Amino acid sequence: MRLTLAIHQIGSLSLGAATLLDGNKLVVDPEELRLLILEDTRLRSVDIETVSPGEDCRIGVVFDILEPRAKEAGSGPNFPGILDPIGVVGQGVTHVLRGVAVTVVDGGAGLENGKILEMTGPAGEASPYTSLHHLVITPHSAENVVRHSEQASLRLASVKTSVYLAQCALEITPHSAEIFESDGPVVQGREGLPRFAYIGQVHSRQRVAEIDEKILYGDNTAGMVPVSLHPNEWLDGAVVTCNRAMGAETYFYQNHPVILELYRRHQDDEITLVGTLATMAASDNEERDRNCMLAAEHAKWNLAADGVILTKYGGGAPHADLSLTARRCEELGIRTTVQVSDMSWDRRAESALLFNYPVVDAIVYVGGRDTDWDVPAAGRVIAGSGELAEELGAPRRLIATNVCGVSSQQGISRLRAMVH
Amino acid sequence: MEKAGIPVCHVTSVVPVAKMVGSNRIVQGQGIVHVMGDADLPAEEEKELRRKTVLQAIEALKNEAATP
Amino acid sequence: MRVVHYLNQFFGGIGGEEHADTEPQVHDEPVGPGRLLGQVLGEDAQVVRTIVCGDNYATENMEALTALVLEQTKDAQADIFVAGPCFEAGRYGVAAAGLCVAVSSELDIPVVTGMAQENPGVDLHRQTLYIVDSGKAASAMREVLTKMSNMAHKLASGQDMGSPAEEGYIARGILKDTFVEQTAAQRLVAMLDAKVKGEEFESELPAPSFPEIPAPAPVADMSKARVAIITDGGLVPKGNPDNISAWAATNWGSYDISGKDGLQGDDYEVSHRGYDTRYVEQDPDRLVPVDVLRELEESNVIGELHSQFISTSGLVNPIANSRRLGREIAAQLKESEVDAVILTST
Repeated sequence: MRLTLAIHQIGSLSLGAATLLDGNKLVVDPEELRLLILEDTRLRSVDIETVSPGEDCRIGVVFDILEPRAKEAGSGPNFPGILDPIGVVGQGVTHVLRGVAVTVVDGGAGLENGKILEMTGPAGEASPYTSLHHLVITPHSAENVVRHSEQASLRLASVKTSVYLAQCALEITPHSAEIFESDGPVVQGREGLPRFAYIGQVHSRQRVAEIDEKILYGDNTAGMVPVSLHPNEWLDGAVVTCNRAMGAETYFYQNHPVILELYRRHQDDEITLVGTLATMAASDNEERDRNCMLAAEHAKWNLAADGVILTKYGGGAPHADLSLTARRCEELGIRTTVQVSDMSWDRRAESALLFNYPVVDAIVYVGGRDTDWDVPAAGRVIAGSGELAEELGAPRRLIATNVCGVSSQQGISRLRAMVH
Repeated sequence: MEKAGIPVCHVTSVVPVAKMVGSNRIVQGQGIVHVMGDADLPAEEEKELRRKTVLQAIEALKNEAATP
Repeated sequence: MRVVHYLNQFFGGIGGEEHADTEPQVHDEPVGPGRLLGQVLGEDAQVVRTIVCGDNYATENMEALTALVLEQTKDAQADIFVAGPCFEAGRYGVAAAGLCVAVSSELDIPVVTGMAQENPGVDLHRQTLYIVDSGKAASAMREVLTKMSNMAHKLASGQDMGSPAEEGYIARGILKDTFVEQTAAQRLVAMLDAKVKGEEFESELPAPSFPEIPAPAPVADMSKARVAIITDGGLVPKGNPDNISAWAATNWGSYDISGKDGLQGDDYEVSHRGYDTRYVEQDPDRLVPVDVLRELEESNVIGELHSQFISTSGLVNPIANSRRLGREIAAQLKESEVDAVILTST
């Protein structure tokens, strides 16, 4: 499968009379976008504004952040199962507005433990999102819309906006192209190169997924066992984050750090990227045993992987799935490395690891629990309501794990917890 | 608790963690969101399931430590 | 900088194992390796007092020895206290570490010691002290003393301590976040690459170890046993009267269930952030199985269901915290003559 990303570098973003791309200037018509978003009758209104890179602006609670992307005609569906009908993604040409992000504010979420986007200051410096131009939308639900429907409407608005923005670039020659091509596990002519695969959790059943929560090709993943995906499918809209994702945004599925790094080495002929699996952390022991076994067996017999990288989702319990899958892989002769999230509230290494399998010995530890910033009042605040904006805008302590892009579960984080 | 000499049977849905921290008697629970029940079952059957799990725990307490 | 130094009978020049009972001796000058220590510390520092003590005496009279060392160190107006290095000598290491802890907390001056990673003195006080990794060979004395001296200077001047690799101390298991050059993804792939090729790699976290606690004997006769339910799923009476935190709870509650045939959702709520709580809120017996245990009590499968159930929240609870909670709960249950516990976890 071969995916071509047509990259349009964007240097400025503003609201105007018509949505168009002029050189590297992106102009967005908020009225046309508003009409599009409000086709969804679960919403009564939506605020649309732009935020510049490095601006003194605080945004919260963030529902999701996406990169504006749209597929050329004949290249397949945009966000199948959510926006467009089901069809395979990861091939053809997808146009990308690089340097821009669509950020959706969740007006129904409480501030405590919600994700914040801090665009300036030391907290901002630590995040890759602060160098982007953001189109921020804050949808407001109609009366009597229950919470999960509200979240479903946010999800729909997010992908609509992402595609709408990028569509204005479809007829325009891009600045550059990035090509992602992989023949999967049956590829010929690469003998001798180590075969690497990626196993990534996309949901944790610590929380039961809502019936209309669209995560994988529009499905809520309930009852799913590990799903085989071509790496391009992650990059091209098959996967989005769940309704309440800790340390993960759709932007970094589209720009998946692990998949991109594996592709880089693949293209340099250092390794062969043979495939990926999307998994879900289990809700009980039996499910965990079953799914971890299935994932490891697939990596062994269908991907013939020599090495596997594993990442997780959610909170603490998913470490059990992460480590059990890794252990099973190791027992089958596949080497593994795992990325764990920061579970140590007392900053002791003994509290940090939630598993103890000697073979799972290659661990990347993304910190975050003792990185925090005392930030001053924000110059500008975008939140779901006046009250929330007042509270959010006040001077506060921001913890890395609550700031978008800092301690990520997707691998973009430069934070590391060192053992002293 | 066990240091104080009181036998404990640990009923949990995340058995690997219990094993890791050294629980001596472990029984598999029903699910993270309802370790002693199952919301998908009708009330009668759920209670029966709960009784079975509790009886397993009691059995474990009667015997020498052994984990699943 | 005025330095007080502690040595055992061997390094103090008295003799070997046969002199391990030697009582503490005080010298107003450096002794044995203390002379070398004075040299590497530099011109602005001086070993002004040395206390030499036999390893057996130290082990058997730790309180008295500690009192003496505190007194002498204070009297000498020490700026720094140095003990060892102890290499593999276990009794020496334990004594040295213990004395360092006491001096640090009572006199509030920087303390430095050194010993091999395997020395039992390391485990006891790893997280409170900076212990230079001396390795096992006493032939490395000069190198070790140099590291200890550098550490002493750093501590005295209040500078930030670097990583174990940089400064040469044994990892204390304390986590410190740092921003590094590579993203986690890059680190993951690089680590896997090395591992697959059989090359050396450094995991960012070492595997933990939990001490084995021998299992208490089984309950001989359950039909006579008093059984208590404990949960870490955070079930509390409506209103959470004891204010048990939904995560990293620092307290626990004990709630009356005498006479109850089961728990009603209306009377309880859940203080726990780590799982979807609606099923337990509908029917709390799904977490704390009072209904079934009451029936088993009536049919005499168990002797008695304890009149209280105990609850706390296990979510992201630091181990040190959980240890304390466990100790406190155990004490109460022992007092109430509980024979066995069913612990339910989410």
